[in-house]
Amino acid sequence: MTLFLQTILNGLVLGGIYSLAAVGFSLVFGVLGIVNLTHGIFVIAGAYGALLLFKQFGIDPLVAIVPIGLVLFVTGYVYQRTIIQWAVSRASLVASLVVTFGVAMMARNGLQLVFGPDVHTITPAYSFMSVTFGPLRIDVVRIVALGASLVLLVVLALVLARTHFGRAIRATAQQPLAAELSGLNVRNLHGLTFGLGAAMAGASGAIIGIVQPFTASSEVAWTLNAFIVVVLGGIGSPAGALVGGLLLGLINALTAQYVGPSLTQAAMFLVLVLMLLVRPAGLLGNAFGESR
Amino acid sequence: MTAVSSRRTQIGPADDMLLQVSGLAYDYSGVGAVSDCSLELPRGKIAALIGGNGAGKSTSVKMIAGALRPRSGKVVLDGQDITAMPAHKTVELGIALVPEGRLVFQHLTVRENLTLSGHVRRAREKFQQNLERVFDLFPRLREREAQNAGSLSGGEQQMLAIGRGLMTRPRILILDEPSLGLSPILVSQMFLLIRKLNEEGISVLLVEQNVHHTLAIADYAYVLEKGRVVQEGEGRALLKDPKVKEAYLGLA
Repeated sequence: MTLFLQTILNGLVLGGIYSLAAVGFSLVFGVLGIVNLTHGIFVIAGAYGALLLFKQFGIDPLVAIVPIGLVLFVTGYVYQRTIIQWAVSRASLVASLVVTFGVAMMARNGLQLVFGPDVHTITPAYSFMSVTFGPLRIDVVRIVALGASLVLLVVLALVLARTHFGRAIRATAQQPLAAELSGLNVRNLHGLTFGLGAAMAGASGAIIGIVQPFTASSEVAWTLNAFIVVVLGGIGSPAGALVGGLLLGLINALTAQYVGPSLTQAAMFLVLVLMLLVRPAGLLGNAFGESR
Repeated sequence: MTAVSSRRTQIGPADDMLLQVSGLAYDYSGVGAVSDCSLELPRGKIAALIGGNGAGKSTSVKMIAGALRPRSGKVVLDGQDITAMPAHKTVELGIALVPEGRLVFQHLTVRENLTLSGHVRRAREKFQQNLERVFDLFPRLREREAQNAGSLSGGEQQMLAIGRGLMTRPRILILDEPSLGLSPILVSQMFLLIRKLNEEGISVLLVEQNVHHTLAIADYAYVLEKGRVVQEGEGRALLKDPKVKEAYLGLA
């Protein structure tokens, strides 16, 4: 029983991180209709950014979230307004798939060139501490990681629900033409949404850096995770990302514990296929409806 | 066509012309292409653009509002050239297009729908006043303020779409097929409403397939066929025109 509870706990912690790492992907997919295969690069870039700031200046990764988020926001905005916008307006939405795939490959190799192929971890002072709840044990970094993820998800949810910017993003996702006619600069909003997604991904990267080892090639896994989270939870909302992420975390932890650590990928894909068969819109559905 | 252009040169850039559109063209591969759309809307009047399905009416008004970029032609608002200015900027100059098919934000509440467009710079300061005005005009919207727009009936969604346009305090209200899909009673109410808004000082450009009602309230009307204006005249005059009668009123 203790083992089971411990596994569930680990799964939930992992799931919280998955959720944060996927929410930007989900938002971009829901609002722009773009499957951004560069997403994992944003996550890993965030991790490397946190590593750099920690090693060079001793900045805690949780503090580093702020500058990393800002840099990735700008990067994402410029990337969308140039390369992706060009691809979509000259060819089609599908072209963005090819373009983001290509950019991801180049960026991955670029990161390898700069940081080398080694596996990195970020180890702040609290890295080796853990707390116990009766028989259950949990690393402090994991609690910190989960807490930070949840806070960022809640903030994003509030921004989307309560602010003019959030309303504008939701309106643009549902009816781009009517949004433009209501005085919203849709192109600019698409760029801002993409930037916001990249910033959330970068923030998750900084958190992932303190919990797990990473290399440049881990980006593929993070894009894939984001995709599965969206299929499980539903497109476009922080709540959907949270549900999907927690589910994916549980599936991973339970499979690793009770079936075998080498089968986690297989279990993920099994659930993905089942979900697509049974409920293709995800558990919470598309936050923006069937307008696309 | 020669008669059309000579009349336009006579009038020229008169002071009372709020909107002047000349030679607008847009290429679609299919229906809806426009080759020559020219029209004028005097301040405080109702102008109508009528024509069959696929004649290019919606394409024309989208170009006027800036939602589509014309291949050629010119749009002049109050003496200012606004050709190809994007729609989110023409809104700030007082052009509100209520699009065909309403296009309300289904998953936003009624109030959120109105809040968004009410946030434009030209109307922001008087937001509360504008909202009250829309709610007074459409009491049903006040009752359903907190409901998702997708849960409204077709007629209510049309009210919301018009309300969304009014929240921007427009000088020109462009209505694209506002009576489409409404019951006969609601259609009559819609035309009464249009006249009322016009009497309150808003200039109206009305795109309609309901030619009878439209010509009855329009000061001036243009007939669009296969992307070009083929006929124009005062609303009531066109109502009696044999060609218009045959083509659009189902009377020989």
